[in-house]
Amino acid sequence: MRALAIPRRAERLFRRNPAATLAALWLLVIVIMGLVALLSRYDPITDVHVGQAELGPGPGHWLGTDHLGRDVLKRLALACQFFVAPGMLACLVSAAIAIPAGAIAGFEGGWIEAGIRWVFTVVASVPRFVLLLLVLSIYGDRLYLLAIAAGVAYAPTLAEAVFGRIEGLRSAEYVLANRAYGVPSWRILWVHLVWAASRRLVARHLVTLFGYYLVLETTLSYIGGFGVQEPMPSWGNMLAFDWGYSAWYAPQVLAPVVVLWVTIVAIAWVAETLGGEVADA
Amino acid sequence: MSLRLVAHRLLVFAVTLMGAVGLVLLLLWLAPGDPIDLLPNGEELRPVLTQQWELDRPLPVRFVSYFGRALHGDLGTSLAYRPGTPVADVIAGPAMRSMVWLLTALVLTMVWGTWLAWASAGRPSWHRKLVQVASIAPVFLLAHVSVNGIDVLTLSLVDRGIIPRPGWFPLPSEPGVFRTALAIVLLAVGSGALAEVRAEAENALVKIRGSGYIAAARARGERLWPHVAHNLVGPLTTVASSRAAFFVGGLVILEKVLLLNGIGSILWQAAVMRDYPLALGITVVLASIVCLSRLLGDTVRLAFDPRLRAQVGR
Repeated sequence: MRALAIPRRAERLFRRNPAATLAALWLLVIVIMGLVALLSRYDPITDVHVGQAELGPGPGHWLGTDHLGRDVLKRLALACQFFVAPGMLACLVSAAIAIPAGAIAGFEGGWIEAGIRWVFTVVASVPRFVLLLLVLSIYGDRLYLLAIAAGVAYAPTLAEAVFGRIEGLRSAEYVLANRAYGVPSWRILWVHLVWAASRRLVARHLVTLFGYYLVLETTLSYIGGFGVQEPMPSWGNMLAFDWGYSAWYAPQVLAPVVVLWVTIVAIAWVAETLGGEVADA
Repeated sequence: MSLRLVAHRLLVFAVTLMGAVGLVLLLLWLAPGDPIDLLPNGEELRPVLTQQWELDRPLPVRFVSYFGRALHGDLGTSLAYRPGTPVADVIAGPAMRSMVWLLTALVLTMVWGTWLAWASAGRPSWHRKLVQVASIAPVFLLAHVSVNGIDVLTLSLVDRGIIPRPGWFPLPSEPGVFRTALAIVLLAVGSGALAEVRAEAENALVKIRGSGYIAAARARGERLWPHVAHNLVGPLTTVASSRAAFFVGGLVILEKVLLLNGIGSILWQAAVMRDYPLALGITVVLASIVCLSRLLGDTVRLAFDPRLRAQVGR
């Protein structure tokens, strides 16, 4: 029965919101590619085959090859490793900081609230991108450092959202009823307010943060100086690198633009769908 | 508006800004080694620089003295970007230019977003999804697509003899007025700015149109737009001041991608060259722009909304 029930649920989900379902599937593919690419042992040096440069799309190379004869589709897939795992790390870091801080600030109020919110206001008053640039400059250009820093820099936004949600529900009737029944405060806070009332809100913010990390990584790699650098592929540096060599309609020039744009729109759709259901949570 | 409220806002502004400066200094202090290690002739200059940068003193002392000097406009001396030049002199001109671009983009996105919302508030419209999908792209991607797209288009038109060979018309790939204008437009549109302003303005407009005071004004035969405008200021100011930090970040990227000479491209150079005094100085300037925009936003909201004044004053 159970095995039959899952496709039916999936079908219902798809009927209700086809765009978001397709977007979620696309993201699933990207995440799997990123994790697989992480495990693959790709050697960018031996991948160069100058004799096969600038091939058009065909059976051997679905999206053709670039001016160094490297398969474009393979490089697009390999590039996922530089934002999938680090992006998830950023989400973990942000959640670990922001959920407890925002929840406690919203639940306790008073001086604790003022102190916690001041710290987050201070972090948020340095523009996020500027803060990350400064961190990269001071501590060196390391991928996982960037991920942790991005998680910390996003924490104010997530904490403020959790804070707002929990502060709004702090004196809701069901919370008061729980108190009257003698349910301990920690249980009210973590089970009723954080898990039951805020988890979709948190999920939406974490998906948004994942998208932010993708944009951050591709931006840095596109501009160069920081981020992923040739010969390793990133959607950002593929965009910057291939432009000078090929016609504008060549797949290696268009594919990174399309893939990046589609992924960002997909992330936004998934986030919006998660957020849309927050209202009735 | 009572003076006490304004004083409170000013205090919040000052304390937040001090926190931001402290955060940036803390980042530098936590780093292994010290900035002198990075200079090619660092060891020769160590005694002088240690004293000049107060590296031998505890963090709180350095914070107080940095903040005190920053208040007098002294942000230290550039190390690598323009060695020996005071940071304030390096960034004064570019900072003014960047501020002008930033403000223009902010005004543009507000006007444009409100106009789009006005045109379709509460009704289904074909451009809502279009604006969302176009606006969500990161600014570097929009810059890449538009600059290269316009270049390709111009060159193909020239090749076919439809427009004369440029000479009178600078190619978009060259720095100039066109690129500056493009940067402002992309800043106003990209990274979700336009879609967010539009959505906020649309929410506010729907709420205002359905409100009792509009019905009352209509019944009295008054003009409606002053009421609408007055009540639209609050929500729009909130978006504008919450958007300021993103705009600053986006401007840094756009200046670098479109090769504009502003404070953002200098920050990037300073970060790559590890010119800490310069990077720190620019970060402090940018953080104070963000804090200032919050202060302004709060003040404008208080000035326009008596309910808020009553609520805060209690």
